[in-house]
Amino acid sequence: MQSASAALIDLPDIDLRKPKGFGLGGLRPAHALAPRTFEALAHLLARCSDIGAAVVVWGGGTMQGVGYAPERYDVAIVMDQLCAVVDYEPHDLTIAVQGGMRVAALMQTLAANGQFVPLDAPRAASATVGGTLASGWIGPRRGMYGRPRDLVIGATAILANGTIAKAGGMVVKNVTGYDASKLYIGACGTLGVIARANFKTLPKPPRSRIAVAPLPERTAQRAIEHVNMLAIEPAASLVISGFGASVEGEDSVDGRLFVLLEGSEAVVERATRDLRSALGSAGVPKTTIIDNGAGASFGRLLDAYVAPAPSAWVTYRSFHLPQLADEYRGQIVEKAQQHRLIADTIVDARNGDVTVRLQRSDAALIDDAFVAFDTGLREIAPNAAIIAGDAALRETLEPWGAAPPGFEKMRALKLQFDPSATLAPGRFLGRI
Amino acid sequence: MLEMIARLRTAIGDEAVKWEPEDLAVYAYDGFGEAPPPAVAVLPRDAKDVSAIVRIARECGEPIVPRGAGTGLCGGAIPIDGGVVISFARMNRVLELDVRNRRARVQPGLINLDLSKSALPHGLFYAPDPSSQKISTIGGNVGTNAGGAHCLSYGTTTNHILGLEFVDEFGAIIHTSIDDPGYDLTGILVGSEGTLGITTAIDVRLMRMPEAVRVFVCAFGDIDAASQAVSAIIGAGIVPTALEIMDALMVQAIEAHYHAGYPLDAGAVLLVEIAGPQDDMDASEAAIARICSDHGALSWRSARNAAERDILWAGRKGAAGAIGRLAPNYYIQDACVPRTKLPDALRSIGSITTEHGLQVANVFHAGDGNLHPLLLFDRRDAKQIAAVIDAGTEILEACIGLGGTISGEHGIGHEKKETLGLVFSTDDLAAMGHVRNVFDPLRRFNPDKIFPTGAVCGEVKTGILRGAGAP
Repeated sequence: MQSASAALIDLPDIDLRKPKGFGLGGLRPAHALAPRTFEALAHLLARCSDIGAAVVVWGGGTMQGVGYAPERYDVAIVMDQLCAVVDYEPHDLTIAVQGGMRVAALMQTLAANGQFVPLDAPRAASATVGGTLASGWIGPRRGMYGRPRDLVIGATAILANGTIAKAGGMVVKNVTGYDASKLYIGACGTLGVIARANFKTLPKPPRSRIAVAPLPERTAQRAIEHVNMLAIEPAASLVISGFGASVEGEDSVDGRLFVLLEGSEAVVERATRDLRSALGSAGVPKTTIIDNGAGASFGRLLDAYVAPAPSAWVTYRSFHLPQLADEYRGQIVEKAQQHRLIADTIVDARNGDVTVRLQRSDAALIDDAFVAFDTGLREIAPNAAIIAGDAALRETLEPWGAAPPGFEKMRALKLQFDPSATLAPGRFLGRI
Repeated sequence: MLEMIARLRTAIGDEAVKWEPEDLAVYAYDGFGEAPPPAVAVLPRDAKDVSAIVRIARECGEPIVPRGAGTGLCGGAIPIDGGVVISFARMNRVLELDVRNRRARVQPGLINLDLSKSALPHGLFYAPDPSSQKISTIGGNVGTNAGGAHCLSYGTTTNHILGLEFVDEFGAIIHTSIDDPGYDLTGILVGSEGTLGITTAIDVRLMRMPEAVRVFVCAFGDIDAASQAVSAIIGAGIVPTALEIMDALMVQAIEAHYHAGYPLDAGAVLLVEIAGPQDDMDASEAAIARICSDHGALSWRSARNAAERDILWAGRKGAAGAIGRLAPNYYIQDACVPRTKLPDALRSIGSITTEHGLQVANVFHAGDGNLHPLLLFDRRDAKQIAAVIDAGTEILEACIGLGGTISGEHGIGHEKKETLGLVFSTDDLAAMGHVRNVFDPLRRFNPDKIFPTGAVCGEVKTGILRGAGAP
């Protein structure tokens, strides 16, 4: 591997990075390499495949808490040089960017033209577009604007053998061949590297407003039902419990309601009146409105999904029918309490996902409590997956939910796209 | 073959298996063209029947072609290599309507519009609305990732599919969900035109009916001015639910047939729909009217009620049918360009059709950049057929040259498979081939569709093209 490694760093158009910052699951790569062009990335991947080097693609590192640690890890492919806007015609409402572009930079570029792509990425200043897509992240505004997969109209992936493969294009309607872009989204870099992503953009709503309300005892379910029946649907509506001051508002017994309203001035004003009235009927007495810095508040909420806790911690996310989400939260919290774990939770009232961050209730508690919880959680929410947590603790837990019925097709896809197991081997569902 | 038919009859019942020539003729064609009839057509009642059909066909080495209503415009449902056609005419029910969670589970043979009719009493609707929605099926829509007039705001079929149940090459019944961990099998199956498996149930997202809807008709001197207005509306950050343009020839045909009230003295008519909270309606209408006026609008009319809105939409959705008044046959092309390239694309279409001596009527989803030139011809004249095919291909090449693609919503099917190479490189197609190798390594699911086999484009089309319209 020594001489073979030399062959990697001699490739043109590749910058060297210190491998120290790119460790994963106790493994540290021999090399961290940052290609400057798609061709350099393609050559690098082909060379890695040839010599049997295992690769992990590294964007901002914000979602590296997803999945198993790789079985092998020789090279980190660092995407920070591939961060440019490739094509942007604002009047077409489309943009193409390289995978290493920071999400915040993408938003800044679009905001200059009154547009946005609602990726809702946590830690947007660090997160990259490619990493956000590859991790399968879906945010709380997806009920209003669609999931990241719905906003991607095309992609260029570099496959393990160095093939540069594009799918889709720069038009908003396209049924030309398979919609292969979707395969790379959520694949955690195990099928190919997302080198370029094409998005449809949306006009940025003129107004954003956040409403937060502490939820007295036995009001959470009613509040959710009332909010879900509002004539003007909120862009996001969540019930949060815990997370302290890192998220806007204060908890009452049932936590706090966090609602994001977006639209024209007139629509947001009416939505606010309707919301206050609905919450009043649900027994929620006090609603606080945040106009200045609503965007930043929403950003802090997104960060909370992957935010670390002071002691050993891990965060799970599971998906349910919206109507049942709060009930599932109750069961999950009860399970945490059984194992003396503190649970901070986010229930997405509109979309139905439940996020739970666990930490020890006392320092003497051993990690077996997490393992026992992990086993019990599978009975409640089979599709629960870990999205963040202490690296050492995650190693002892099951990071993915139960394999779905189509798993054998997934295994076969991995073999087709990456027969030499170059791309993050063992990282994905079922250790593929 | 007789053995396969006998086995099918045993497995799914005599009356679900059609094999007499007079029964099979109907399964030989679709909205694009005609092939020899299949060896057998089957009408399953449930996923178990489909599973049995797939197993038997596999053991007998026969290809399988799934078929919804046969309205596809690219030959996706014609049995090029014979074999078994699976018609979903008997799998046409809403299996579950979950109003609170705004979703439904439906069978693939359910007619698109029937789903919205089922959901409407609950204030919900299914958004993708191809012009064929009165007859096309949800399963067929999934196969082609069908679009429609309202994609501009609501997205295409793939954005509304939450999961699928499909039968794989071995006959296994597999369920997928976009909430499942793992690769996005749902996403890759939608738009795969029946080449990866046979869909037997579909989980769809339903949307709330908008609080308010307004529809306007605006006349322009020519199609260029109308297209510029569309670009300006989008550029101003306004996204109506629909922005449709019809040229003068198209408007004449529609008016003669539907009396929709479109202005007959216009060079082009722009149909606009906005929908959403009542509070936004006046401001949005005023802004769009102002932009249209700035771009030389000749007239502006707002539908006063739901009945008037329906009439305006009936004209647009029935546009292709109305063309029968102008020519014995028409060939509808489907291409998509970046929105700002619409005027260039339309100029190219004009010059290409003129060069080939063809009349063209344009009706298209302007907000999406999705073009549908209808080339008029008489299929009894071989020269006209050749001209239509050549012009059709040149239009696609022109759209690709403008950064566009060869299908916005109809699919590739059999018609355009040889042109796929104009858009994608060998490497791009090889990656799609990896997917096919996983799901259908024997190439038995809808063979000879989507991917090029090397036949000359014109040869494929002249042999099959019927053209829609009067017989």
